[in-house]
Amino acid sequence: MDDWQTVIGIEIHAQVNSKSKLFSSSSTDFGSAPNTQVSLVDAAMPGMLPVINKFCIEQAIKSGLGLNAKINNKSIFDRKNYFYQDLPQGYQISQFKDPIVGEGSVEIEIEGITKTIGIERLHLEQDAGKSLHDQDPNLTFVDLNRSGIALMEIVSKPDMSSSDEAIAYVRKVRSILRYLDTCDGNMEQGSLRADVNVSVRKKGEELGTRCEIKNLNSFKHIGAAINFEVDRQIKIIERGEQVKQETRLYEVVSNKTRSMRSKEDAHDYRYFPDPDLLPLQLEQDWIEKIKKSLPELPDEKKLRFINFYKISGYDAEVLTSDRRISEFFEEVAKNRSSKLSVSWVASELFAVLNKLNLNIENSPVSSSQLGELIDEIENGTISNRAAKEVFEEMCNSEKSVKDIIDDKGLVQISDTSEIEIFINKVLEDNPENVEKYKNGKTKLLGFFIGEVMKATKGKANPGLLNQIVKKKLDN
Amino acid sequence: MEFDKNSTIKLAKLARLSVNDNQLNSLEKDLKSILKFIDQLKEINTEDIDPTSNSLDQKLILRDDIAENTLSNEDLLKNVPESELGFFVVPKVIE
Repeated sequence: MDDWQTVIGIEIHAQVNSKSKLFSSSSTDFGSAPNTQVSLVDAAMPGMLPVINKFCIEQAIKSGLGLNAKINNKSIFDRKNYFYQDLPQGYQISQFKDPIVGEGSVEIEIEGITKTIGIERLHLEQDAGKSLHDQDPNLTFVDLNRSGIALMEIVSKPDMSSSDEAIAYVRKVRSILRYLDTCDGNMEQGSLRADVNVSVRKKGEELGTRCEIKNLNSFKHIGAAINFEVDRQIKIIERGEQVKQETRLYEVVSNKTRSMRSKEDAHDYRYFPDPDLLPLQLEQDWIEKIKKSLPELPDEKKLRFINFYKISGYDAEVLTSDRRISEFFEEVAKNRSSKLSVSWVASELFAVLNKLNLNIENSPVSSSQLGELIDEIENGTISNRAAKEVFEEMCNSEKSVKDIIDDKGLVQISDTSEIEIFINKVLEDNPENVEKYKNGKTKLLGFFIGEVMKATKGKANPGLLNQIVKKKLDN
Repeated sequence: MEFDKNSTIKLAKLARLSVNDNQLNSLEKDLKSILKFIDQLKEINTEDIDPTSNSLDQKLILRDDIAENTLSNEDLLKNVPESELGFFVVPKVIE
């Protein structure tokens, strides 16, 4: 197995998060009743003409800049001709020879090693409608609500050599698009999906024949489909047979890929410039203006987090992979201990979100609430342990941090004289252990602290307690 | 590549058109004459001229991103041969 190399290139289809479609004013809302967001243009009624959505162009430029790519001042829309029931026009309006965005690159990191993945291009095109094959044994049902929504097709160079790299690449592109707010990246709803081109070769040999696995809509499926496909192709070649160039489909249930159509009777798309659309000319001023409006992107932000908050590369990666998470963290960490902020966001809060299967956007605890909780820890009102109890309650109720602390009586005892009363009692009750301690068994310090904690129901300020007990015993 | 009967069959197949032998012959004849005309255009020397994708000297008009649904489901499906539950219904297509 060791002398085999895998070569992977990926096409990502990312829906532009516009309100209306690329060439018509129909709404792009997800989950509406079938065929209620279809205009005469989308239904391809005779004589209808496409008019391009300015916002979609801007989003494509923004995405291109975010992918460190060249923006082409002139691009052309072409017709890609094929016959299918979810494509009423009989052609998809796409960009073939002259895309809006040219070559770029993104960086991925695997186990601390950075690798640059080339971007070949990004172009704008129309999404197709949706076919439902499971409503009737003999019929296919077609919904055109999705038909004509703007897609950005992002084509990578064949620079990846493992399923891990492929997943890291798609994650990175998704993260960048979400930072830029050009695509919501919702893979479950199909706003972002990947076609993966896989081939294998013996080291040093020429590129093998590739297969394209279409429409993968989760990171898990991308990984599983590639691993299955690599294995399949190697077995074919080792049997002395040849891999057939074809389009394949990944089947979740069996965790296998199967042939969809072979390229032999390949579609002949007969691309030609769409006579309904003039070339798209972009003024350099517009591009510059968009460039200036770009937010800080994940790589940059990660570096800043490491330097400014003095947190580990791992924590910085976790906190910056998603824009909303990074913003949430910064709201929490503002003027507060970054160490506490990291642990409360990345450990405690993430655990709750995972458990409830929620995103940071619908977190049961807001950044300001979590900040208040950390304030109470920092100013000594509650212990870290009590804070966990408060946090649990915060996730389940609307009560304020202060009210929860009061209701549960969790206020830490930070009054020296009050703590001393408890300590004196413990020391009086355990004269033998005091004696042993004084004779050198200093490990018993923990025992005394534990006893006082028990007596105060865990509310004694641990720092103070430690200090006073030690002072009393050592005297 | 020489345009012949097979090219016509291929085009008909790509367009999902059912064409009988008679029609094939006359289509082939028509298409050939169109291509001959195109060949004539090809004789012009265009070496120093940028390819044109559109002959109009105008800029592409851009639309603001405002969503508006202008066609009801009933109107959309008015002329379709078959529909159900608001969907277009076609013979089973599975790849």
